[in-house]
Amino acid sequence: MREWWSKLRRAPWRRTLDEELAEEMRAHADLMADDNLARGLPAEEARVAARRSFGNMTAVQERAREAWGFPRFEPLLQDLRYGLRAVRQAPGFALVIILTLGLGIGVNTAIFSVVYSVLLRPLPYPSGERLMMLGEDAGKATGISVTWINYQHWRAENHTFEDMAALIAGADLTMTGRGEAVLTHGALVTSNYFHLIGAQPIEGRLLTADDERPGAPPAVLLTYDFWVKRLGSDPRAVGSSLALNGKAYTVAGVLRPESSPFLSGRDYYLPLRPTEALNRSAHGSMHGLGLLKKGVTAAQARADLDRIMKRLALSDPGPESDHRASAEFLIERITGHIRPTLLVLMGAVGMVLLLACANVASLLLVRGASRSREMAIRSAIGAGRMRLARQLFTENLILAAIGGVCGIALAAWCLRVLVLTGPKELPRLAEVRLDLPVLLFAAGAAVFVGLLAGLAPVFAAARADLSASLKEGSQGAGTGPRSQTFRNSLVAAEVAITLVLSFASGLLIRSLITAQTAYPGFDSSGLLALELQLPSARYKSGAGILGYYGQLQRDLQGIPGVEGVAAVCGPPSMGYCGDYWYSILDRPAPSRENVPVTRLNIADIGYFRVMHMRLLAGREFSGDDRAGALPVTVINEELARKWWPSPRQAIGHLLKMGGPYAEGPTLQIVGVVGNFSLNGLDGEHDPEFYFAFQQRASQAMVVMVRTAGDPAALIPAVRRHVAMLDANVPIQSLRPFESWLSASLERRRFTTLLLAVFAGLAMVLAVVGIYGVLNYWISVRHREIAIRMAIGAPRAAILGWGAAHALRLVAAGMVVGALAGWGASRWLKNLVFGVSEHNPLIMFAAAATVLGMAAIAAGFPLWRATRVDVVRNLHDA
Amino acid sequence: MLLDAGFRLCKIDSMSTVDEPLERLEFLQGTLEILILRSLRAAPNHAYGVSQLLEQQSDNQFVVDNGSLYPALQRLLQREWIAAQWKTSPNGRRARYYRLTPLGRKQLAHATSRWYRFVEAMGRILAEEA
Repeated sequence: MREWWSKLRRAPWRRTLDEELAEEMRAHADLMADDNLARGLPAEEARVAARRSFGNMTAVQERAREAWGFPRFEPLLQDLRYGLRAVRQAPGFALVIILTLGLGIGVNTAIFSVVYSVLLRPLPYPSGERLMMLGEDAGKATGISVTWINYQHWRAENHTFEDMAALIAGADLTMTGRGEAVLTHGALVTSNYFHLIGAQPIEGRLLTADDERPGAPPAVLLTYDFWVKRLGSDPRAVGSSLALNGKAYTVAGVLRPESSPFLSGRDYYLPLRPTEALNRSAHGSMHGLGLLKKGVTAAQARADLDRIMKRLALSDPGPESDHRASAEFLIERITGHIRPTLLVLMGAVGMVLLLACANVASLLLVRGASRSREMAIRSAIGAGRMRLARQLFTENLILAAIGGVCGIALAAWCLRVLVLTGPKELPRLAEVRLDLPVLLFAAGAAVFVGLLAGLAPVFAAARADLSASLKEGSQGAGTGPRSQTFRNSLVAAEVAITLVLSFASGLLIRSLITAQTAYPGFDSSGLLALELQLPSARYKSGAGILGYYGQLQRDLQGIPGVEGVAAVCGPPSMGYCGDYWYSILDRPAPSRENVPVTRLNIADIGYFRVMHMRLLAGREFSGDDRAGALPVTVINEELARKWWPSPRQAIGHLLKMGGPYAEGPTLQIVGVVGNFSLNGLDGEHDPEFYFAFQQRASQAMVVMVRTAGDPAALIPAVRRHVAMLDANVPIQSLRPFESWLSASLERRRFTTLLLAVFAGLAMVLAVVGIYGVLNYWISVRHREIAIRMAIGAPRAAILGWGAAHALRLVAAGMVVGALAGWGASRWLKNLVFGVSEHNPLIMFAAAATVLGMAAIAAGFPLWRATRVDVVRNLHDA
Repeated sequence: MLLDAGFRLCKIDSMSTVDEPLERLEFLQGTLEILILRSLRAAPNHAYGVSQLLEQQSDNQFVVDNGSLYPALQRLLQREWIAAQWKTSPNGRRARYYRLTPLGRKQLAHATSRWYRFVEAMGRILAEEA
């Protein structure tokens, strides 16, 4: 305490303290000199001897001063001061380092912020990390809807969930009575749903358990967007009535605006009332949302629900006694599919950071070499080795910190570009921002880089040989064999990393080209897609639906320029009609858990012709395939090949929908069409079969219009005809089909572009790095080159000698990079399409590119080597 | 033969003149402060005087390094166990003289008795071992 107090008291007089110390030491030396004189030494010698035997005055003074200071911080401030001075002394050098680091840290921070927002940030619901989506598993079909009775049992008998809600995500109703009829999108939920996702009303009230009672007046809870856009923020909306599908609902309240709604694009919520379910196998499209108790694992929760399912299978057996519960964390459900892509991008960008590190390290080494004399002088006048090392670290950290700030600025800019150009379907992309965890990441990256890149020159300086460095004309530290080896391995590492990234981005570029140019199984040009959903109140019966679509088809056929019109439930890449079990009747019945699942679709007469799909065997649907006639189906090639060696052999066989254990019609296979992808152009081929529209009417269809010219030109005419036929039928969407297809490649394009950008960055960094190291290698060998030339080496020999050195480094890097790339490409398995992730041709192309890049980088230093001035270099020596 | 003798001579000679600091004792942690206090008990002295005194009184067993002496003096000043004052030395040089404060005197007595206990204890153990 006393010490602290004296230190603080004396603090303002630190300068006089210094002067006093200096004076005291001078007096000390004088007294020694006096003694030496008395011993009979000559005056001058007496003085010098005293000085020498006193020791290093500066060091003594510094150490004595430290007793007065707060030694922990004082040298730090001094290091900072020296560091800033060093940065100012070599602004060009500092700028290159700062830019390199800024680039590396910037792209890393940008990608990390996406990774953080999408994968790591907790969901914006209270206890979002414990929310689970609940459904049923049935053999190969996982996560299907849960039936009402099963849900009731789960809710009442589980021991692992705090709370459980049920929801039906899609309930599309036509709103009338407020302007023209519009199709609106609602969701049915139980009242505790709002509690689970933490929703609050801004007006009125939430839905409550009272609204779920049978006979309660129908209530609707509006979302904020719907209230603003459709009702013009009507302040009297609460309590008023809304006509949905012709039924009056009282508006109970309006929800607060949600930044990331649980169910996006909903207009309102309706109470989910108990259905008068007949049995445990009456499926709708209901799913559960459960809040897991604290400390319970997903496996425990699944086991708990399965226990209930097994008990029910005994007490209430039915066709679905083998069903089990499916429980998946919400975060997995939302972001599981994007995780591999983001992790690959994070890995790629991490490699860019390593490259930046390598470049900075090699720059610092070169600079360290040119500063070895400064370091030698500092250590001669009393700077300890640790102190020098610490100061070099401080300098590096200063550079890294400035680089980090630049990086954050770059990241902010990158993020805006990413959010604007990123694929719309990338979940949670809108939430991406630079917030505290991301900034901490950037700071961490900067410190990491500062320390890592700083290690090399610190080692070099710590080994600096004083006397060698002080001698005039010596090359100093950093030219020794060890630091040369270190620099060489940096070059090899840069080449390796660049090759890995080039290979990865080559694979993705090839995949994108394949996906874009692959024949998708149909002709997408000149197609217009008209998505309709008939209001169920007006179009209840199959005949009414068929009548509407039949008339619409005839009307649209009449538009000049239209070549064909046909309706389908799910056209390629645009949608999905469902999937279901099936079996082939003349094959052995599969066991319960092995019943195969296939996609199902509904197509009208002429659909395959309008789409220009290849009919491989049999026939299309015809006018004879109507209700009451023999139920028929057209299957795709994938499905046919699963059971028969050739598509032709499938014709005439019977397909039982639902498989042996579930209800479903038996259909005769009358045709086989070629494969195409339903999941977008780069999707897998799934087995699929088609119902005849005439035999299975559906309100929601997409009418495909084949046109002779530009499909967009016909949009107004199509719109007019739809309105003329029935003004109460809203158009869901109407756009050229190709825009749908290209949207399906949006994510692939995005990933490919990003990876290509990273590979490009890596190339630039590697070129700079290779150039720097080779240039230095040549410049410290000027004298050697001059001697070689003086004794008769031709320029070509010098060139060959330098090139051989460069080639050795590059070749080592290429071998490592090729092996690493080959091994690492398995992470890309999910991202490549149409090519193997082990494609030797692409590896070869990547290697050729990297070699070309290395040649460019090495070109100038090698050319310089041949231009060494023999006379001057030999004279200087 | 002659050459060999000369070489040997040379070596012996060099050993006798060059300081061999490793041969001398280094201060144990904290002991330099006590010795400074002790050297100031009789009369105030300057830094050079203190170092001379310590070296002489230890029969040159101790070598006082200025890099340790000055920080130790500063620490003692901070604890207010010694005080400093500029005075003129007997041969007419201005020098900074240190003197014991009453607090320093008390600390010296305390440290001395602790030191004897320490040495006694160490000695007992080491003697037993031998």
